[in-house]
Amino acid sequence: MKVKSVLAAALAAAAVVGMSACGSSGATNDDSTITFWHNSTAGDGKAYWEQVAKDFEAANPGVKVEIQAIQNEDFAGKIQTAMQDPSTGPDVFMALGGEKTQEMIDAGQLMDLTDKISDTVKTDMKTALKAATYDNKVYGVPVSVEPGGLWYSKDLFTKAGIADTPSTWEDLLKDATTLKDAGIAPIALGAKDAWPAAHWYYWIALRECSNSVYEKSVQDKDFSDQCWVTAGEKLEELNKLNVFNDGYLTTTAQQGANSSAGLLANHKAAMELMGAWEPGVVKDLTEDGKAMADLGFFAFPSIAGGQGEKGALMGGVTYFSVNATAGDNAVKFVNFIGEQKNQEAYAKAFSTIPASEPARAVVTDPALKQVLEYLDKAPSMQLWMDTELGTNVGNALNSAVVNMLSGNGTPEDIVKAMQDAGAKG
Amino acid sequence: MPPKKLGFVRTRINDVRSAMSATNRIAVVPDARLRHNDKEANMKTTKTSKQSSGKGRNRLEILVLSAPAIILFVGFVILPIILGAYYGLYQWKGFGSPSTNGKFVGLQNYIIALKDPNFQAAIGHPLLIMIGSLVIQGPLAVLFALLLNQKFKGRALIRTLIFVPYVVSEVIVGTGWSLLLQKTGAVNQILTSIGLPAVDWLANPKIAIWTLLLIISWKYIGFAVILMLAGLQSIPEELYEAARVDGAGFWQMQKNITLPLLAPTLRIWAFLSMIGSLQLFDLVYIVWGNYVSTTAGVSTMATYMVREGRGAGNYGYGSAVALIIFVISLIIALTYQKFVLNRDLDGALTDGKAKKKFGFKKFKNESSNTQVAASEAVLAASEGEEK
Repeated sequence: MKVKSVLAAALAAAAVVGMSACGSSGATNDDSTITFWHNSTAGDGKAYWEQVAKDFEAANPGVKVEIQAIQNEDFAGKIQTAMQDPSTGPDVFMALGGEKTQEMIDAGQLMDLTDKISDTVKTDMKTALKAATYDNKVYGVPVSVEPGGLWYSKDLFTKAGIADTPSTWEDLLKDATTLKDAGIAPIALGAKDAWPAAHWYYWIALRECSNSVYEKSVQDKDFSDQCWVTAGEKLEELNKLNVFNDGYLTTTAQQGANSSAGLLANHKAAMELMGAWEPGVVKDLTEDGKAMADLGFFAFPSIAGGQGEKGALMGGVTYFSVNATAGDNAVKFVNFIGEQKNQEAYAKAFSTIPASEPARAVVTDPALKQVLEYLDKAPSMQLWMDTELGTNVGNALNSAVVNMLSGNGTPEDIVKAMQDAGAKG
Repeated sequence: MPPKKLGFVRTRINDVRSAMSATNRIAVVPDARLRHNDKEANMKTTKTSKQSSGKGRNRLEILVLSAPAIILFVGFVILPIILGAYYGLYQWKGFGSPSTNGKFVGLQNYIIALKDPNFQAAIGHPLLIMIGSLVIQGPLAVLFALLLNQKFKGRALIRTLIFVPYVVSEVIVGTGWSLLLQKTGAVNQILTSIGLPAVDWLANPKIAIWTLLLIISWKYIGFAVILMLAGLQSIPEELYEAARVDGAGFWQMQKNITLPLLAPTLRIWAFLSMIGSLQLFDLVYIVWGNYVSTTAGVSTMATYMVREGRGAGNYGYGSAVALIIFVISLIIALTYQKFVLNRDLDGALTDGKAKKKFGFKKFKNESSNTQVAASEAVLAASEGEEK
């Protein structure tokens, strides 16, 4: 019996030790191994990162890059958990951006790269670097720039007899009505995910609010300016025309043929407001799995009487940050990612716009080239509003927009929701 | 048998009585062989008075045997609750630790949550679903069970079919129903093809909650039926025979024999159903998502917690909400146990009465577990015989 109880005790102890051992599978301070987290779990993107890691290992003998590809939806939660103790977290990882990155900086988890990034990164990515700069300090190396705008089916526009893409808000409303009268669902909207619906509000606000008001409001989280209410009213005006696809409140953004991107891909809806990732997403949702032949792009229209900068864009910048406790090799690795040839390969693998300006020459997709044209002309590019505001206020804003679209709220409620959220976090 | 071995058996029974009385009481009733050993052992131990050293080993055994369970329970249940309550006192984003990266706000998070109309609605919906499932599923399940308890051709097939939805994963059920019930989905296409108007099953706040109840009933009725069937099996056939001899009809028998004897099963099923309703998350999350569930009026406490805690990155606030959910569920569960389930669980889970009367120390000796007491009486009787 005694032997047994000793055995049992040993077993229990082993189980406890075993459980705690599971927690320490992250990075080590050992500089020769770099743990690297990204979010491309399949296809060309995954292959691209494997290739980059291999090239880096070849250029730096003795250094090993350990890759972990994590599903995008799980990424934020996992990185947050892993970085509870930075010494066990990954060395290089895709940054969450906006205020989440700010919070990680405040918690001392990110390395200040201001003096560590290479000159190539500094010059080639001058504009994109702004998104990774906080308080004049650089906390990441960008890889892609994804401005948003309206993606549309050229065939459906022609079918409804629309010759030119709309450049003003009035034109957009008129064209939407024309499409609807022709029996075509004008605008696909994945409101189940909230953010696609909220993007309409962001863009209208960007057109309505002057640059200084916009930046100050977002910075101070003070939305008392009238333009924030006007933006909601404009969106309600659009919603009242019934131009969103039937059942848009329960439509997802990217999952399957019934999602908003799927509706556009299969010519069930004429246009969608989305970021520059749209061609890649639509490609996976067409019937034959090939790129959508008649996919076109136009910038968000201007709004008469709006104070916003003409041609201003909004979008996302993907960048990679370095763990505050990581060694020199991790810094070398992010600089390596920023080199022109790697950026060119990135643009091809992800069919997107690379952060490095000289690398943009490799973009061949006609719709993406159009995006580039607008990007070159744009006086400024804001980050997605929810990213910039941080998850707390951003989440409240997104929910409030869905509330309004479903008829449960007013434009004033959107402003109120953003202000109320401040109390919860 | 050597005395030492018998002593062990005796101590094992003591263990079972004192430590395990909270678990399955049936297991506590010693079988005939054990009782016999026990009796002998008792005589031996009183003669050799080895009890004191036995007690120490007793404690060690209890400690060693229950350690894994206690460690798991404390580590994964008690500790998270305490930590959640602690995090709930901070405005904290989940980065670093609350004391350095968060802001201490006292009970503010709890107050904001309880005042938030969205959270109040999210408390209301599960309660409504709880009552709805009891009212819809209970009678239906009893009827199905009565039917499936009769002998007819294809009974096994129907029994299996009715249980299938329960076995299918919630994610698949949710995805399937959300596709069927889309505004342009299959259900509406069938409706329009036979000339009926299409219905907005999911997004219309007047309809959505009934849609949810329908999906839940469809999914969980199989579970209720299986439970009821098992309950029916345990009702002795003799009772029905006797009733038949007395000239009772079918419905009279169901009313006077089946229902009263099925009551314990019904009470347990209702308890499980209530807990399930209060914790409802996955179906709503899959079919409606975090955002539309609020506008459609089907949000639950758990979806609110995920949206406002994890979704908004307010881990402090989310923890406060989690603790409120815990307290609400605990109150409902304990109330139900005290007033409804107590007759089924008497002595097994709720030993409050005995504790109050005798105090803890005395309670240990004067076990209130009726079953144990009964077996003790048997022991005493047989011991008396021996003496």
